[in-house]
Amino acid sequence: MTCSFTEKISSLIDGELSTAEAREVERHLIGCNECQQIRADFLNLRSQIAGFETSLAPAVQNRALKKLLATPRRAPARGFAWSFGTQAAAFATLVIVAAIIGFLIYKSSNTPTTDKHLAVQTPTPVPAASVEQKQPEAEASPSPNKGNEETAPRRSPSPAPKKPLAREPKPGEQFAAIPSTPDPVRPADTQTMTALHFEKSETLLVAFRNVRLNEPGTTAEVAYERKRAQQLVLQNMMLRREADASGDVQLSSLLENLEPILIDISNLPDKPDKNAIRVIRERVERKNIVPLLRVNSTALARALD
Amino acid sequence: MASEDEEFTMLFQDFYPSLCRFLECLLGGRAPLAQDLAQESFLQLHRTAWGTLPVGEARFWLYRVARNMAINEFRKSHTRYRLFDRVVETMRPRARNPEQEYETQERKTLVLEMLQTLPEDQRTALLLREQEQLSYREIGQVLNVSESKVKVDIFRARASLRERWTRKSGYSAV
Repeated sequence: MTCSFTEKISSLIDGELSTAEAREVERHLIGCNECQQIRADFLNLRSQIAGFETSLAPAVQNRALKKLLATPRRAPARGFAWSFGTQAAAFATLVIVAAIIGFLIYKSSNTPTTDKHLAVQTPTPVPAASVEQKQPEAEASPSPNKGNEETAPRRSPSPAPKKPLAREPKPGEQFAAIPSTPDPVRPADTQTMTALHFEKSETLLVAFRNVRLNEPGTTAEVAYERKRAQQLVLQNMMLRREADASGDVQLSSLLENLEPILIDISNLPDKPDKNAIRVIRERVERKNIVPLLRVNSTALARALD
Repeated sequence: MASEDEEFTMLFQDFYPSLCRFLECLLGGRAPLAQDLAQESFLQLHRTAWGTLPVGEARFWLYRVARNMAINEFRKSHTRYRLFDRVVETMRPRARNPEQEYETQERKTLVLEMLQTLPEDQRTALLLREQEQLSYREIGQVLNVSESKVKVDIFRARASLRERWTRKSGYSAV
């Protein structure tokens, strides 16, 4: 397919071109044998795919419908026509109780925090080891709890000196606090997130590669890609840190390569210069990121299965 | 309530077969599984969203949910054909005459094989276009992607299928 009109032929048979564009393509078609053949082939494909017959038997369909209509429908949230069954009442009670407990916890954790906070803050220049020594005491009382920030002070409001550290670490304490309260790492979750992240990034980069530079609508298209990139940057940073922490060099370096590209796309202006887009595209090509993302997301997905 | 059920029945009669066909093509021909997933999609619609969705939206909602279910299914079993599906498929009663049935089956297999060579997003976009005749905007709505991505995906899918089809001699003028 060497002719530059081939992509437009696809849009033409879908009726997605403006009248002027459609006329232009039709005019081109009269003189271009290759495009005529492509249109015929695309239409032939359409008839093959559209002519695909489902293996559904009418009896199966009727059975399915009967089954569906027999299942009770969960009442949608329409005004107040909600019938309060026992389940609904129990749920409402649960929510209220949870809200009250939450409020009490919030209150109790707020009042002692200031005192404790000051108490821990004073030895700010203390090296990591001394802060770590304090942790076993704090950890001892809420031991079965997995270090959850909200639940820890509920059990024992008084011996919670490390909470302020976890919430707002001071520059000197940050180093000591992080290793002492390691977040529970769930490799499967991280892997799933990374696989999804790679898939999304790959889609974004492919879409970005396909942005048209010769059309007046360029800015609008980039606006979409920019928005997606902004959403992905933060996740990329988080995943890169996790990969660093777990010592996965391969993942970490891929995320490290991806990050500046996401940042560049998310920082593109409203009306980006064509050269700026080209430079980013070239970088993506040079670093061979799209195939790497594809390979890694597939590998991670397989590992999860 | 009765009229709501009637509306739902109409929607079901209109779209259940096409949803089954869409899923069957997406899953590479696993008809019983496709029917299960289509039924599950309608069940979710009936239980949760029916009555809150505008009628025009229900169709897109169904395709979105069905596609997500199919993707979950891919993840669970990749392209492995489950034994149960195969057995059901083999035992399915066939009403037409054997020659006609054989030809149809051949063509179906070929279409399914070709479609399976496409990436999932291209395949879904192409199926929604060719079988369901959704516009690029509507497909974008279902797949939650931009219109330009839909356009590119559909073109790539067609170009790639055309190339493969050309290699298979004797099937079409392509």
